[in-house]
Amino acid sequence: MQPSIMLGSSMWAQDRLPQDEFALRLDDLRAAMDRQGWPSVLVYGDAREHAALAFLSNFIPRMRWGMALLPRTGEARLLCAMGTRDLLAMRAMTWIADVHSGWGPEWEKAFDPWIAQFLGERTVELGTLGFDLMAPALHEQVRRSLGDRFRLQRADDILAIPGSRKRPRELMMLRASCKVLEAATKAFADSWCNSQEPESAALDAEHVARSLAAQDVRTLISLDGGRTLVPYQGRFEKSAAPLVGYIAVKVLGYWADMFITVDDRSATPASRHAEAALDALIANVRPGARSGEIYANAIAALQPFTLHPVLGASVGHGIGLSLHEAPEFRAAGETALVEDGVYALQVGVAAAESGQAKSDHVLISAIARNTAKGAEVLARSPAIAAA
Amino acid sequence: MTENEYPLASGAAARNSDAIGVQAMNERAIVRNSRLTRATRQLQDEALDGLIAASNGLNNFLDSNAVYVLGGVRPIGESALVLDRDGASTLIVTPAWDGKRAAALSSTDDTIGTDDLVATLASVVGTHRLDLSRTVSVGLSLLGRALLDRIASALRTLPRTADELVRDLARVRTAEELAAAERATWIAERGYARLLEYARPGLREFELAAELYCVMKKLGAEDNFLLMSASQHNLAVRAAGERILDVGDIILSEITPCYRGQFVQICRTTVIGEPRPLVREKFAILQDAMREGLAAGHAGARVADVTRAINGVFQKAGYGDYCRPPYMRVRGHGLGITSDRPGDIVERNERVLESGMVFVMHPNQYIPESGYLMCGETVVVADERARSLSARPAQLDVIAV
Repeated sequence: MQPSIMLGSSMWAQDRLPQDEFALRLDDLRAAMDRQGWPSVLVYGDAREHAALAFLSNFIPRMRWGMALLPRTGEARLLCAMGTRDLLAMRAMTWIADVHSGWGPEWEKAFDPWIAQFLGERTVELGTLGFDLMAPALHEQVRRSLGDRFRLQRADDILAIPGSRKRPRELMMLRASCKVLEAATKAFADSWCNSQEPESAALDAEHVARSLAAQDVRTLISLDGGRTLVPYQGRFEKSAAPLVGYIAVKVLGYWADMFITVDDRSATPASRHAEAALDALIANVRPGARSGEIYANAIAALQPFTLHPVLGASVGHGIGLSLHEAPEFRAAGETALVEDGVYALQVGVAAAESGQAKSDHVLISAIARNTAKGAEVLARSPAIAAA
Repeated sequence: MTENEYPLASGAAARNSDAIGVQAMNERAIVRNSRLTRATRQLQDEALDGLIAASNGLNNFLDSNAVYVLGGVRPIGESALVLDRDGASTLIVTPAWDGKRAAALSSTDDTIGTDDLVATLASVVGTHRLDLSRTVSVGLSLLGRALLDRIASALRTLPRTADELVRDLARVRTAEELAAAERATWIAERGYARLLEYARPGLREFELAAELYCVMKKLGAEDNFLLMSASQHNLAVRAAGERILDVGDIILSEITPCYRGQFVQICRTTVIGEPRPLVREKFAILQDAMREGLAAGHAGARVADVTRAINGVFQKAGYGDYCRPPYMRVRGHGLGITSDRPGDIVERNERVLESGMVFVMHPNQYIPESGYLMCGETVVVADERARSLSARPAQLDVIAV
């Protein structure tokens, strides 16, 4: 469930992401500007999706939206959809010094004079990133400000920002997220073993993650033995069925997520096949491996069980500044995995309705970095059988 | 229909009973159906063929969520609701696996879980035989351009925008919604009580926020727009960060839990250690402003009148020049996710208050001598005055050290 605001720490962590890191991140963008003849690229992100904006500016909109105005040369500007009262707090979230409110009547004051520096005799082309996400009203505002003096060109297809190959400091951030995730997942399992209350367990996990400065925490639990997952219901009831749940944590912009199944009985055939399928997924992660091939191997390891429908016919995807990054590991996937890509690997078993016990619904996962030597597991679901 | 779609007829009283209490569910269904009925009547009155409501999956505490208002479901992802002039309705939610939960809560005739919102919406519009030239939309303008373009392409046109329709329809809280708002306020006050117990020098802001957030969630708050920050001299409130609390810090908190779709907000000021007398003196101005605002906030008054009553107190105290951004933002505002009416509490808002409207009134103010201070309550408009939903009005609280 998308929260109304992100909590946790969103300050620019200069010890982990120093200014020179962003200078390097901007290099690819500036090279593209040179190739395309763009004097500037406008980068949009909102509270839901802001990977490119966060990658280039470190700014993560806690609510509404933000837009980085990045010039080929000269000083960048950041607009945020917050009142002028809130600008001081916004300035602490980005390396960009020139932060303005772009909200409501502030838009024209903040956007128009900045963009005017690029006016020329001919129509000027500007690149855009993330504009597909923009609400029509704001897009119309941009269009009105630009008039016929500028033309927008979609840069999303030309530039993969952020890229699939994680930078060294991104890997450091993802490791930190995975540490928070593992602490939260342990709390999830421990709490359930003590209370048998799935929602209490999810909340205890969330508490651990938030106490470690997670900005966002998403949890899902099953109330029907793992057949379906639901967000927070506020019921806090005991359940005799095994725990099947999900948790995602976001720390300083970077996501890590995990499915969890805990059954206090000995391992079932379903859980053994799910573990085998996850092992197969991990074993198949290597540079150049095709996403469809990885999918096929995982499905083969699951046999005779079928993939849990909650996974939407996918056994994984990229993860980073977005919870859900390309590529998706589906049957028809042709994308080759890249070295230093980070992937959420997910498997699950949906027991056939006929005859099999509810406990045969299983969902587990891992997060792995792709290295030249194969997968480096950054996080993995705890063992299914707790006993 | 793709294999990822799970058509789940609602009419789901019996099936719903394991998800929420039967009585509560029936009460909700009645409320939601009354909104669907009123929306249907409006379509008929205006000779319209239908309505398409959409949600981007965000639950903005300042905004109306049309899918929630009409369908009774807080969507996880992008979603839509189709209502036709005969009163038949279909809810479409993403992802597909959320269909079961949505069907259990929805007051629509049908509920569909899908991974392809655009194709399913086009199919449902066809099923309802809507003439899109005589159909209106609510919330489509909140969707991203790419998705909206795909919808326009699938429908071959976009219906006329009528974004005010649902927020007007839900501008006065029902008895059930008011009860939920009162419960949410109770949760907010428990959350604040926890702050008074838990805050101490050495604690980081985000640790305190984590504690408050989870305490309130345990009490039933499904969401929380929680701002909470500290300084020896605050310029504004912000989301919690890494600051370590210390003696003399003034903690500002804007505690905003949501319970059954009703956001409420209380604004509080707390000092670690004994505050300077000057801070108490300045906080009293905010309390006076709150009292004036409550007295002015009766049914029939204009929002502008309430704003002027609050600002008048600051002007009288010599802070008239500070009654503008960045020294404050607004004197209050409506609360989502049913309806954000009556809107921002500002002098340019001429909307007339109606009995049963709910909004937060907060004469929060930067004062040069004390810094930013906060004092605010969720109120319901009544005939004689606005009534605070809080059991204990804001005061300058002290954490002993």
